[in-house]
Amino acid sequence: MSMFVSAMTTAAVMMGITLGFVTYAIYAERKVLGWMQLRIGPNRVGPWGLLQTVADVLKLLLKEDIVPHKADRTMFLLAPIVAFVPSFTVIAALPFSEHLLLADITIGLLYVLAVSSISTLGIVLGGWASNNKYALLGGMRAAAQMISYEVPLLLSVVPVVMLAGSLRLGDIVQEQAGGFWHWYIVPQFFAFGVFLIASVAELNRTPFDLPEAESELVAGYHVEYSGFRFAFFMLAEYMYVFAMAAMTTVLFLGGWHAPHPALDVVPGVVWFVLKFVGVVFFLFWIRATLPRLRVDQLMGFAWTVLLPIALLDIVVTAIVQSIIR
Amino acid sequence: MAIRTEQLLLNVGPQHPSTHGVFRIVVTIDGETIVNATPVMGYLHRGTEKLAEQLTYTQIIPYTDRMDYVSAMTNNYVLCHTVEKLMQLEVPERAEFLRLIVMELQRIASHLVWWGTYLLDIGAMSPFLYAFRDRERIIHLFNELCGARLTYFYMRIGGVKWDAPEGWLDRVRAFVPTMRAQMAQYDALVSGNEIFLARMKGIGTYDAQTAIAYGLSGANLRCTGVPYDVRTHHPYSLYDRFSFRVPIAHSGDCYARYCVRIAEIHESLNILEQALDVVPDGPIMGKVPRVVRPPEGEVTASIESPRGEIGCTIVSKGKDRPYRLKFRRPSFVNLQILPKLLIGESMTNLVTILGAIDIVVGEVDG
Amino acid sequence: MKGIAKGLGVTMKHMFAPKVTSAYPDVPIDMPDRFRGVQYFEPDLCIVCNQCVRICPTDCITLTGKPNPDPLKKNKVIDTFNVNFEICILCDLCTEVCPTEAIVMTNNFELAAYSRDELYKDKEWLYANNTHIRSENSTNLSPAAKGGKDNGSER
Repeated sequence: MSMFVSAMTTAAVMMGITLGFVTYAIYAERKVLGWMQLRIGPNRVGPWGLLQTVADVLKLLLKEDIVPHKADRTMFLLAPIVAFVPSFTVIAALPFSEHLLLADITIGLLYVLAVSSISTLGIVLGGWASNNKYALLGGMRAAAQMISYEVPLLLSVVPVVMLAGSLRLGDIVQEQAGGFWHWYIVPQFFAFGVFLIASVAELNRTPFDLPEAESELVAGYHVEYSGFRFAFFMLAEYMYVFAMAAMTTVLFLGGWHAPHPALDVVPGVVWFVLKFVGVVFFLFWIRATLPRLRVDQLMGFAWTVLLPIALLDIVVTAIVQSIIR
Repeated sequence: MAIRTEQLLLNVGPQHPSTHGVFRIVVTIDGETIVNATPVMGYLHRGTEKLAEQLTYTQIIPYTDRMDYVSAMTNNYVLCHTVEKLMQLEVPERAEFLRLIVMELQRIASHLVWWGTYLLDIGAMSPFLYAFRDRERIIHLFNELCGARLTYFYMRIGGVKWDAPEGWLDRVRAFVPTMRAQMAQYDALVSGNEIFLARMKGIGTYDAQTAIAYGLSGANLRCTGVPYDVRTHHPYSLYDRFSFRVPIAHSGDCYARYCVRIAEIHESLNILEQALDVVPDGPIMGKVPRVVRPPEGEVTASIESPRGEIGCTIVSKGKDRPYRLKFRRPSFVNLQILPKLLIGESMTNLVTILGAIDIVVGEVDG
Repeated sequence: MKGIAKGLGVTMKHMFAPKVTSAYPDVPIDMPDRFRGVQYFEPDLCIVCNQCVRICPTDCITLTGKPNPDPLKKNKVIDTFNVNFEICILCDLCTEVCPTEAIVMTNNFELAAYSRDELYKDKEWLYANNTHIRSENSTNLSPAAKGGKDNGSER
């Protein structure tokens, strides 16, 4: 019983942290986009607009929950939950520092990537159940895109697993201790590139935001959603930003390790957060810069560019490793 | 057993972010491939030509502002120019210079709007805001000159309403190098970007014969290598006094249209630079009777608007109002090729192609 | 990749560039003098010549005159003067033809209202709209008005 209570408490705390992250990630995204576009971004609600997202969420909460008459009601109501729940479960396996991790799973990496792919189902379901043509197109695009990019995403982490010799995320980070030249971004730069690109595609963010391409599909799969159901999709999206940025940090940027052993006095969490923020900023930055790819180009890119690079990387890593041993 | 597939009828517009106003395309799609496309227009039809029959010539000018609202100056000019041609009015040189300067500024402003919104269609957000920042400089110049930011109503039959205010010409002169520097930034942001190129190259291609057969004009024609520009072929205003290039491209795709428009901004800056140095002093209004009453007759004139060849035909019965007035609206004519270009393309290319044609719905619907 | 890197450079540079937004409506926007805003109407100057009504392209002005209350004067004075801002396009023609500068432009442009009725502005409202009056207005000044008082700006 006490275990259950403590688990629930941890979950609640984690929920608070991630919700806080989502709130301020949206705020930060709007601020960064604003600055890059010669604007100042949100500045009306609270000091420097800090409460803008809170106000937006409140507005979403108060909005009418509309279910279109011709929608498949059960599926329509289920879809946001299916999209959101995996995004939150993923957080459990992420190690933020040596001691700060909730579930130390031996196959942590596999778990994160496997669970996160369930969300695709929610998006497709939402697109289909809305009974809206734009939503359907968005949902189909999401299915095609997320499934094709999952392949290079998974393959790009294989070399990391080969180097670390473990699927446990904590072990992978431990292997990268002792300065930034031990981080896997150095030996596995190509894998890092593939992972970064594929994760942006998995996140449905610019330049891969085809499922919600507003200039073509208006809003894509969530076009019929309003109020808190829409917020759930939004929440899931930013949860994955959180998860993917954390994964990038863990797999390639040395997790909680300082860039130099001399800097070890600074707590690991700080380093983790710094790297994590860097990755998130990069996501915002490319959103401010790049246009959207076309569907066929997107698919072609995954199968003809990323996949061969990832496969080649595995082979090269295997050969190099067997020579060194 | 084969899976049953169905074609989907999709209404793109009239409320859709990428139709640039209230324009509608009914597309039949098979998956994401467009099988058939029917443009539906008229949501913004105000009957400018019919309204004009009830209005005196001066009163028509503000209505032309609202036709192609992104390029009001050239619309003003085509009407004034046609009436002047009909009445054989002499326009003072300074007025003509001011008209030419504002028209070239307007061309830059209009192309900037196109550039920004086109890239927004393609999915990049920042260029839109950069373009509007620079367009704002031009709009501010116009605001100082004629007191409006969009519907200028600057030109009058036989001249212009206002002389340039103190220091205005110098501010325009200062604008030219600023804009050149900005263009370099734009090139760095967009023109070399691989994703942009991949989105634009080879999309919506047609050849010169097709373009001429459809009556296309402006950048939509010049992108196929036809160097037709009313400014050089039938010089009006003072364009024969300045040296400028008519930018052309040869591939006839969206990227060619993009390049032509970017080059046109540079050429407009060149024209501005030449014109600003030789603006003479003098009156800004010709000797125009208080009531404009052209002689009986019919006259047609056309000029090069940012969107193509805009023409105006007036049938006069000697009254102070036209008997019939007709605008050749380039957006409307250029749009006719759209269904042909769309068939077989994907939904994503729909916005790329529609955007590259550069329509203004106010002008399409008249 | 080079093009994308260049683009990233441009956006990064803009991140630290000065921002171009204005704090409207907290800080009002100053329009240049020639700006065509909502008209100001001076009933005492109006000679009920009806020129503004005739020139208006959208027929948004309606006016009526009445005999001068001073029995010694034969002229008419303005009784009602209404501008319908639902259809007024602020084209400047009424101020252009007004021979006495009774109707002139101001730089005020905030016309938003919750009801269409509120956009129907009468003589009193237009007379009260007396700030930011434009300095140059008519191109049709009658000789009397030209020599008369300078209807300059009150800015």
